[in-house]
Amino acid sequence: MSPVRASSILIVHPDRKTQRTVHRILGVTGYRVDVADDVEQAMRLLAHMQPVLVVFDGALISQGVTALVEAAKAGGAEACMTLLGGTSIDQVPAILGLGAVTNLLVHQMPVLAEELTITAQKLIRNDLFGAEKYLLWGTELHETTLVRASQRSEVVGALAEQVRRHGQSARVASMAMLVADELLSNAVHNAPIDASGCHYRMELPRNRELELDDRHQVRMRWGCDARYLAIEVNDRFGSLDRQTILGSLAKHDVRESGGGAGMGISLAYRSCDHLVFNLAPGTRTEIIALIDVRYPPTERMPASSYNVFVERPATRKP
Amino acid sequence: MTLTPETRGRMTITLQGDALVLAGAIDETAVLHELPTRAVGGRLVLDLAAVTFINSLGVRDWIRMQASAQKTHLAVELRRVAEPLVHQLNMIIATRGTATVTSFFAPYACDACGLEQSLLIDAIVNAERLVRLDPPPMICPECQAQMAFNDFPERYFSFLV
Repeated sequence: MSPVRASSILIVHPDRKTQRTVHRILGVTGYRVDVADDVEQAMRLLAHMQPVLVVFDGALISQGVTALVEAAKAGGAEACMTLLGGTSIDQVPAILGLGAVTNLLVHQMPVLAEELTITAQKLIRNDLFGAEKYLLWGTELHETTLVRASQRSEVVGALAEQVRRHGQSARVASMAMLVADELLSNAVHNAPIDASGCHYRMELPRNRELELDDRHQVRMRWGCDARYLAIEVNDRFGSLDRQTILGSLAKHDVRESGGGAGMGISLAYRSCDHLVFNLAPGTRTEIIALIDVRYPPTERMPASSYNVFVERPATRKP
Repeated sequence: MTLTPETRGRMTITLQGDALVLAGAIDETAVLHELPTRAVGGRLVLDLAAVTFINSLGVRDWIRMQASAQKTHLAVELRRVAEPLVHQLNMIIATRGTATVTSFFAPYACDACGLEQSLLIDAIVNAERLVRLDPPPMICPECQAQMAFNDFPERYFSFLV
């Protein structure tokens, strides 16, 4: 009989101070936290544990981290996230290229602690949906529902106006427009599928009018807490899957030629500071784009974070 | 010479002097790929200061326009390129084509009074320093203090390299 393996969170990071900081943040989840200095040590630990979460440093990308990601997945890990400091930013294309990292957090402390806590809690509680999780308490979310396809341009234009009226810069309003347009277009045209999985509206001209019935209606909410402007778009199909998202983020030809499917997701990712995918397969897809509005913008990171969460049928408790 | 604006979806095109002035949102209704037929003497000059937005379908159309101009050996000049378009030029290499950017807007912020503004940079006059990713100094139009470049130079100027 094989021994019962203990559930835990595994941190893989070479820096002792970061290990301790991340340990303190993730310790509050109630899970045991194991720490490894490198991929080799982490692989040895994985043989004796049941990881719920593996958190590894982006700089380890050159040290065979793919094997670690695979081993963690095989062991039942919910997600593998990468912490990137300022010196590791040039690793982002390589991490995207892996097409396997479901959560990438690109922040310096203390912002990283907030993002890491939200990510860990969402994964552990299996409570994924809602932009509220990323905004300060009391932040008002404004809601609009698209009932016809041509409303997209009006809604996007109105969003930009309201963002400006709320005191945000033209840069923020412009980013909000781009992100909202791509996410709404994706929800109206790419999300609908029939019983055979065919995306029957994907090839329709975007300027063709479509009346959207209950199932096809798309909900957008947005709010700003003076740290982030959050734009949340929901559809009721739940057809977007993890591999499509990771493939879109990893695509090189979007940068080279602007071509190919998934360009909208890729552009949205590159136009915001944090893109969050909440997936309930067959039921609902929610995408939340966070635009950092703190001043000055140069104190932010020149790369974006992302999360891909997939709702589980049952919740695992610590 | 100035003519009445022609409306295409949420974008307008106006002939102003030697340039076609594009204003508003570039999306699936813009039909940009037709613009090379408007070139005069082998030159297509686009003034882009008033472009407020471009989405992925607009980007595709923009790339088709650039490809068509390249095919017919047109010299494309982009003047006063607005920030939303600079972002696309930086994100998607194909949007640059063989066009020459002669001036563009860039974000600046004033530490003294907190003003954030998009300011015009002459890419010809400042060519040397832009290649070194060194933003030209700007004076705050409100308080006259020195403004700081408000983005990452290695990211914002990458379309020029």
